[in-house]
Amino acid sequence: MIFLLIPLVIAVAIIAWFFTVYNSFINLKVRIENAWSQIDVQLKRRHDLIPNLVEAVKGYMAYEKDTLERVIKARSQAIDASSLKDKAQAENFLTQTLRSLFAVVERYPDLKANQNVLGLQEELTSTENKIAFARQYYNDEVRLFNTQIQVVPSNIVAGLSGFTKKEFFEILDVAEKEPPKVQL
Amino acid sequence: MPFSFIEIEEEKSRIIAFVFLSVIVFYFLTVYLILILAESFFIFHPADELRKGLFILPSLDHTLATFIIALIAGVFHWLISTNNLIEKMSLAVGALPFDPKDTYHQSFKNIVDEVSVAIGGRPIEAMVISSTGLNAFSLEDFDHRAIIGVTEGLLARLNRAQIEAVVAHEAGHIVSGDCLSTTVTCSLAEIYEEFLCKLNVGLRGSENRGSVFLFLLFIILSLINFLSRILRYFISRQREYRADAISVRLTRNPLSLAEALKLISRNWRGCGASGEKMESIFIVNPRFDSLDDEEGFIPDIFSTHPPIRRRVGILLDMAHLDEKTLEENLKHFQRVSPVAKPEYKTEDSINKTKKWFIFKEQWLGPYLLEDLKKLQGLRPDNWIRIEGEEQVIPAYEDEELRQGLFGQDAEKKDELCCPHCKTILDEINYEGVPLFKCSYCEGIFVEEYKVSRVFVREDMPFSEDIVRLAEKLIASKDEWRLNDSAAKSSWVIPCPKCKKLMHRQFFVYSYPVEIDRCFFCSGIWFDKQELEILQYFYQYKEKFFDGKGF
Repeated sequence: MIFLLIPLVIAVAIIAWFFTVYNSFINLKVRIENAWSQIDVQLKRRHDLIPNLVEAVKGYMAYEKDTLERVIKARSQAIDASSLKDKAQAENFLTQTLRSLFAVVERYPDLKANQNVLGLQEELTSTENKIAFARQYYNDEVRLFNTQIQVVPSNIVAGLSGFTKKEFFEILDVAEKEPPKVQL
Repeated sequence: MPFSFIEIEEEKSRIIAFVFLSVIVFYFLTVYLILILAESFFIFHPADELRKGLFILPSLDHTLATFIIALIAGVFHWLISTNNLIEKMSLAVGALPFDPKDTYHQSFKNIVDEVSVAIGGRPIEAMVISSTGLNAFSLEDFDHRAIIGVTEGLLARLNRAQIEAVVAHEAGHIVSGDCLSTTVTCSLAEIYEEFLCKLNVGLRGSENRGSVFLFLLFIILSLINFLSRILRYFISRQREYRADAISVRLTRNPLSLAEALKLISRNWRGCGASGEKMESIFIVNPRFDSLDDEEGFIPDIFSTHPPIRRRVGILLDMAHLDEKTLEENLKHFQRVSPVAKPEYKTEDSINKTKKWFIFKEQWLGPYLLEDLKKLQGLRPDNWIRIEGEEQVIPAYEDEELRQGLFGQDAEKKDELCCPHCKTILDEINYEGVPLFKCSYCEGIFVEEYKVSRVFVREDMPFSEDIVRLAEKLIASKDEWRLNDSAAKSSWVIPCPKCKKLMHRQFFVYSYPVEIDRCFFCSGIWFDKQELEILQYFYQYKEKFFDGKGF
């Protein structure tokens, strides 16, 4: 009896282990998809905040029209972008225009003393941070997933079930990798 | 030994899991020991078994039954003590939900939202303790409700990156389930302590037969209580290390967390009355006599938090910085406020406003620019001295006066400027002739070919002053200088048009009037009244000269 029992127990244990690993892969995969949509949520929030900032700032910065116009144009481009590559590029461009806008705001002491503008700046900075954190979380989950797929006991499960490596969220625009030039 | 935050997290997780299991095993071991005692002293056994020895081992079914009861009791106790956990504990600590109208609280809520995005979108509530000390805590409920709280002092003293590092540390506790498992160990330990309490009471009135049993029970339970306390403190310390590592993983900023820990440990970290069990949820032990900052045998075993120095040391290793530089940086630390600050004119800024002394027959002053504007009659060629400086200069050489008082920046290249006053010449018509005149010193600049036009035209009447001066000039042949002209000096002046130096000479040798002539662009500079006097001479030459004109 025992000779039948031991292989049975072993078989049951292996099947249980298989199910556990498979479920953990599914879990990670869904978390990665969730993280991806989180990034979209934060990007949309940034799109919604920008018109308020432009309105608040327009009255004070009469001579900085082209900076404001670049921000507005970048925003509409980012909203219209459809393919993944276009989206990433448009969002990177929008980040750059916002950075130059904030640098210009620093030069106007009237604007710096305006609580409204400061509040909007805080909201936009917070949203930028959230975008960065959402990307970071996505990359961390992808790291875990890719590690689990390749580590020895679980890669058997991965190979059998057809899980493949996922891509990290990297900066696609080469120009963004250069440090921003400060124009004084 | 520098570890990366990922390695630290994994290592501490293993240690914590192991020790946690030990605590649970400990619990059941205790139950088993108590069972042995109970078997030996209370439960009826046949006499022959009693002769085997003082202590009797319990049988398998007794053991199993007791374990199951102990498990149920443990779970029950745990469920009851964690009911409404967040309300009870936040009340004890004095935390209130954040105020959405307060600027600092708004910024704090944004930071908590950012960290909640970083841990995967799990919603976290933000709470604030109204204490001026610096500390932070986190709690989690079994309904998946999580809160992070900070003190007002922390919000006001730390900058955004440091607050973010502290919040990420607390989120680390939530993510690794520390709050939930702390309650397990705490509630298990409470069972011992409650038992001990009851025992204490029981022993006082020790008329009981079983008092030996109770006494032994008391000793064993105290010992086990002591040991489990040590284990709990050990777990708590490992958890703090792990939360530090998670904070770095989330923010990728070990330096800010190191700075925050240093700043918190320097200030008062209290936050109102909190019981002994509450300490573990805070980032730095809030008690006054805490063992956190000391190292050595006793603190190593008994403190709930690791020594701050060691925590900061690990973080600085990750940041590739040494402690001395950190201290230096903290000395110059200044936070940026989220509140717009109006600019007040301080005493210093008023004192630094420029003042001038002016010379009008005597030295007057010092005057501010506003005073000088009210005081009319300061000409560009008056002498002035800037307060605080030794040198005496003409007024047109001072930038602020030129722009503020004389209203022009006379450095523009394409305008003609008076060579004495350095102000822009006005274009006027004299006798219908377009020429350039200075409004201050009344000097005239005119091209040479236009001068004859002035002489032949006779529209403008001559003032008495001109007549008097002209006659005086002819009369006093030795003194052929116009004495009252401040501009008449031996300076060689530059041409307003081509900026080259002009020559001083008589306009014609017949008439004793000196002018400045530019040989390069053939312009002539007449000082005050010189052109009129020449014109007068020309028109009334018969009066002066014996018919010999020029």
